[in-house]
Amino acid sequence: MLVRMLRLFGLTFSMSIRRVVAHRTNLVFDILLATFSLAGAVAAIQLVYTQTESLAGWSKSAMFVLVGTFQLMTGLRATFIDPNLSWFPDRIRDGRMDLYLLQPAPSLFLASLGTHAPLGLIQVGLGLGVVGLGLFERGTMPSAVGFLSWLVLLAVGVGVTWALGVFLACLAFWAPRLQLQVLYGAAWELARYPVDVYRRPLRLFLTCLFPMAVITTVPTAALMHEPNLGGVAATAIAGVAIILLAIGAWTLGVRRYTGATS
Amino acid sequence: MAAIEVDGLSMTYRAPLRDAGLKAALASVVRRRYKDVHAVSDVSFQLEAGEVVGFIGPNGAGKTTTLKVLAGILHPTGGRVRVLGFTPWQRRTAFLKRIALIRGSQPVGGPLELTVLDSFRYQQLLYEVPEHDFRANLAELTELLELGPILQRQVRALSLGERMRAGLALALLYRPDVMFLDEPTIGLDVTAATLTRRFIAGYAERTGATVLLTSHYMADVQSLCPRLILIDKGQVAYDGPLEKLAADISPYKLIRVTAPQASTDDFAGVGEIVERADDTWVLRVHRDDAAQATARLLGTLDVTDLAVEEPPLENVIDQAYRGLATPAGSRS
Amino acid sequence: MRRLARLVVLHVWRQVLAWSGSWWFLLTLVAGQAIAPLIGLFVWSEVFPGDPRVASYYVALLGVQIMTASYENHTFSEAIYDGNVTHDFVKPKPVVIGPIGENLAIRAWMTLIGLPLLLVVGFAMRTTYAGGAVVAALPALVGAAILRFLFTWVLALAAFWTERVHAVVGLGNVLVFLLGGSAAPVVFLPEPIRTFAEASPFRAMLGLPAEIATGSLTATQAVEGYAWQLGWIALFAMAAVVVWQAGVRRYTAVGA
Repeated sequence: MLVRMLRLFGLTFSMSIRRVVAHRTNLVFDILLATFSLAGAVAAIQLVYTQTESLAGWSKSAMFVLVGTFQLMTGLRATFIDPNLSWFPDRIRDGRMDLYLLQPAPSLFLASLGTHAPLGLIQVGLGLGVVGLGLFERGTMPSAVGFLSWLVLLAVGVGVTWALGVFLACLAFWAPRLQLQVLYGAAWELARYPVDVYRRPLRLFLTCLFPMAVITTVPTAALMHEPNLGGVAATAIAGVAIILLAIGAWTLGVRRYTGATS
Repeated sequence: MAAIEVDGLSMTYRAPLRDAGLKAALASVVRRRYKDVHAVSDVSFQLEAGEVVGFIGPNGAGKTTTLKVLAGILHPTGGRVRVLGFTPWQRRTAFLKRIALIRGSQPVGGPLELTVLDSFRYQQLLYEVPEHDFRANLAELTELLELGPILQRQVRALSLGERMRAGLALALLYRPDVMFLDEPTIGLDVTAATLTRRFIAGYAERTGATVLLTSHYMADVQSLCPRLILIDKGQVAYDGPLEKLAADISPYKLIRVTAPQASTDDFAGVGEIVERADDTWVLRVHRDDAAQATARLLGTLDVTDLAVEEPPLENVIDQAYRGLATPAGSRS
Repeated sequence: MRRLARLVVLHVWRQVLAWSGSWWFLLTLVAGQAIAPLIGLFVWSEVFPGDPRVASYYVALLGVQIMTASYENHTFSEAIYDGNVTHDFVKPKPVVIGPIGENLAIRAWMTLIGLPLLLVVGFAMRTTYAGGAVVAALPALVGAAILRFLFTWVLALAAFWTERVHAVVGLGNVLVFLLGGSAAPVVFLPEPIRTFAEASPFRAMLGLPAEIATGSLTATQAVEGYAWQLGWIALFAMAAVVVWQAGVRRYTAVGA
């Protein structure tokens, strides 16, 4: 089953890529927009550092790495997660949820990883570029352990992003009128800056309750400073727990949708 | 072994009850009241393998709910259902690979950006159709459903008729043993509807698939289904051959009589005039009185032509839906 | 003219009703608009912890952002894409009345929904404003609202030519964010960007009212700001007419 899921994923992804290449003008527009937005984000950072040396303990180079990481994660989210899970209540309304249940593959897989928007990968590439710029600005390369921790934490971040998307989608089974998608998008924007910038209640919220800190702050800190391996492991375990919870929520949601409960 | 066995199927929803007005809305936040909606109650029937059965009933009768239960999308609140020996709502992969649910309102699922051919490839992988079968089936479906010109087009850009053809082909690519068709010809023009009907009939005959079809168009039912199940208010109102439905449901027959010298008064006491064109009258008489009425007409009038007919199926069904006739609840 | 005014009022009212059921969606719109000013507030308060004007500025900016939000790339461009705009072509009134009505209705709802947020943030950050400065800023707020609509409208008309209108408007919004006073208050921008930004339409549609309300401009600077704003409104109004006519010509010629 897992192999077939991977092959289905690969097939739809390659189909999406072909589709994108077929529409060159759109490609040009999206590259322009992605470049321009990132340039805007970098410029906004530059503006801050014309007035100060350090923002909440973060140097300019660390901040560049953080913005690059943010762009990278945003790109992954735009490519793999948003096309599937955003506006999920509409999918219940238009009957697509029924289709997921009818097909011989796990419904969560079909609903959450069935379509892709490969144009988002442009942002991933650009983000990596900015991460490189930040490291170049710093002068010294991080250790191999630092890099590995960064990658592990990014993977955890992608998993958490997916899980949060699934949670929001699951809400639709109980309260179809509640569309929290845009709120998620707004909270996501807060990850543009390290959580240390925010006041205490908001910081706690972003660390524990709605863990946007995992998206950028935690990986970047691991890359820029020697990582605390215990912390990395703890984050990874918490991430896996959130993913399992999301799968559980989906199972409950489907049970409710099909009328197996009540 | 029966392909589909339904025994005492019931489906009850709990719908929140809310009176109009702000006060009621606020009250419902605190204490919600529910009312039970019996979408389907105690429905039983069986379909043998290879049967093509029409499943009809007015809007809201419970047709779609039943189809969804049979396809595994809904978990019923009561009753026993077996489809191909499986309990549908367990949604085992082996079960899902052998059934198809095609909805005329939305024939093609999946990403609309894909081309039709890409959708076929996706379906091949999803249902694990071997390459050899894939090629053979695709070639056959392409020819029968005239898909050649649309294979390279995006699903998004297809007309409704083209979508229906593509949707049928996508569902049949993996040769399902049981097909649930929900309004397969809705919105189609005459040509496309005919093609769809002919294709469904052909497929069922060729492969021996079991087909359960809902439709509001009697043409679908008449051309496809030797057997009908009529469902009304969540209960089976009729289950039997198409031809017997009229006799069971409608207590009337129609007498079409052509008599150039007759006037309206001549029919007084014979039957109710439901139609008149030039010298031809159509009378509605009670089924039991048909023979007597015919004899009387032949005896009193100078008749040039006379025929006794079953009422048109559309009218019978209309009567049944409106509850004018007393439905015969027994199986025949 | 009176007929037009009544038509506009009618449209606004109809759209207010049409949107009244979507308060949840409106709330998410407000959140989307609020996020950039809030981030700016946090970041710049961290850079200048002692300066109360930073908080006052960004809270005012938050208000401007919510009250001048424009979504013509979602509302009107979609009507161009799905062809519904042709319904309006055959009615005896300027097409732009529809979008204006919807724009004002959405803003009215967003203002209503955003007000509690504004009060909470303002209270939490202990912002204070001088009454006179706020009054002096009100015409600039109206000007910003007009300019933001015209700007978004002109960009949204790109839908006549390209499928990627969201990218076009997105590019415009990046400029507004950077040079309009959201990424950083215009006074904090380094020269020569600052001089350029002060004269730009972006500041006129976002930062200017907030700057005046905070009392950080001298009378001369404020008058200069107003002059730029009026100039840009005139320019974008003309651009809107020209682009609209070109777009309609293209649309009716192609018959898309």
